[in-house]
Amino acid sequence: MKEEKRKVYYLFSPFLRIFHWIMVLSIVTLFITGLLITKPVTVMGIEPTYTSMSMDWVRNIHFIAAFTFCAAFILRIYGYIRYPGDRLFPRVWKGHFYRDTIDVALHYMLLKPGHDPYLRNPLARTSYVGLYVMVLIEILTGFAMYYMTEPNNIGGMLFGWVNVVLGGEMVTHWVHHIVAWLIIVFAIGHVYMVLRADLMEAEGEASSMFSGVKFLEHVPLDAPEINEEGPKSKKKD
Amino acid sequence: MDKRESMWDVYLRKGMSRRSFVKGCVALTSLMGLSTDKLEKVVEAAEKKPLPVVIWIHGHECTGCDESFIRSGSPYASDVILSQVALEYDHLLSAASGEPFEAHLEETIQKYKGQYILAVEGAACTKDNGVYCMSGGHPFTHTLQRAAENAAAVIAYGTCAVSGGIQAANPNPTGSSGITNFTGKTPVVNVPGCPPIPEVMTGVIMHVALFGTVPPLDGEGRPKQFYGNRIHDTCYRRPFFDAGMFAESYDDEGSKAGWCLYKLGCRGPETYNSCGNMRWFQGMSYPIQSGAPCIGCSNAHFWDEGKMSERLPKFGQPIGDVDKIGAAIAGVTAVGVAAHGAASVIQKKKRDAAKEEENGEQVNK
Repeated sequence: MKEEKRKVYYLFSPFLRIFHWIMVLSIVTLFITGLLITKPVTVMGIEPTYTSMSMDWVRNIHFIAAFTFCAAFILRIYGYIRYPGDRLFPRVWKGHFYRDTIDVALHYMLLKPGHDPYLRNPLARTSYVGLYVMVLIEILTGFAMYYMTEPNNIGGMLFGWVNVVLGGEMVTHWVHHIVAWLIIVFAIGHVYMVLRADLMEAEGEASSMFSGVKFLEHVPLDAPEINEEGPKSKKKD
Repeated sequence: MDKRESMWDVYLRKGMSRRSFVKGCVALTSLMGLSTDKLEKVVEAAEKKPLPVVIWIHGHECTGCDESFIRSGSPYASDVILSQVALEYDHLLSAASGEPFEAHLEETIQKYKGQYILAVEGAACTKDNGVYCMSGGHPFTHTLQRAAENAAAVIAYGTCAVSGGIQAANPNPTGSSGITNFTGKTPVVNVPGCPPIPEVMTGVIMHVALFGTVPPLDGEGRPKQFYGNRIHDTCYRRPFFDAGMFAESYDDEGSKAGWCLYKLGCRGPETYNSCGNMRWFQGMSYPIQSGAPCIGCSNAHFWDEGKMSERLPKFGQPIGDVDKIGAAIAGVTAVGVAAHGAASVIQKKKRDAAKEEENGEQVNK
């Protein structure tokens, strides 16, 4: 047993944590049903009436998961407004952000033994922005296909332009499909990085998405960010 | 200018009955996608409006749209041409030819400035000043520009006129494009399809002729009444799609039984046209009904959107489609992170050992 002094940093609000797990579930659901929509399983029925309406179900599950995911963004946005710990996006307007990113990247390329302590390191921050961009592309292309059942309704008017910008609705299908794969590749990297951080630094990286807290030995460089509006972050000494 | 006949005048001159005139109007009303209470307006317009003058020109294309047009069943193409519009100039259907014919085009443009309807088939060829498509001694784009600037409205018939069609497919050697770059401020109705449905062609021209305005258009300039539905949503094979009953090849049991053609590359889910509800040749059939998946011929770039018999483009053996590439990349990523993890652990152990040794040495001293 080792006795050590660590500080507990409260980062993620319940809103972000709940959002995160809704996102995980819906992305898994969306990916599996999405693959089934592209390449459906052929049911050898006799009449459509007597089959289990498999494609209809797959599509409905896909749509329900999609709408749940979109609705969950309400939690994410509310958390973002209210809690500084939910606002850990890249500080691209600050010079040290780029130096720090290179520093962390060198560590992950196994060229440097360690990197400075962060609540959330700049490389991770950038990757999450990347994820949100991919999710945005999926939402736009998804609704562009979904609402065009009736091009004259409000959904068609809000999202129909996506098909025009991409140069055809078939291309929208492809973009939707390819970006889905990219999100899965991101997820593999994400899970690995979290587990690696937890194994090597033992700062509660993985459990922070359940408890909302991380335990750090050294004062992280980005600590001031969650203290910007003091009272909401419970920093225990 | 001599007095121009209306549709009713033509019927009178030909000794046709009022009954057949009204019947014609009823057919037109439903064809234009209007509700029956608009019948009065259609009859009124057909009685009073002089027959619209139509100039019909052809660019880079196969004249397949005309082949479709002459097969229109209600109204008959012959009725449209002979008693419902005044077709003054048509590259394909006119008996005349040569210089007097070209002079007649100029005459018609001058005489009916701002009143005639210009129907255009075929793409505008733009490369090398348009020399790859000449008509009457001029590049087609010249004729198009000249005729379009004085027209009341332009109807772009077929995917070629709307977005370039097969000429504009990769690598597009003649620099072909849709006609909208050459029509100036004249309103354009896009009637895509390769070819468009005959009744859609006659319906659009009759709408412009009788009401003097272009029909309500969607975001891509297509008449809403004909292009407001997805083939997939109007397809009679849709229940098979929902049930998951698919034809896997062109000669299997599913194909014989008339199951959904989605897996054979059907473009129905992203194609907007009236094939599903109006069908072709007086409702006789349409591609999906005859067992061929929709190729999305009314979509702007359908030639370049991958193989028509596949939903996802394949990149040849042994690479395969996006799913295979995606799975491979995911696999490589998984192996990569595992290797990275192992390297990280080994590195850390080495460094820790080195540190301990150092510490140990310090203690010993």
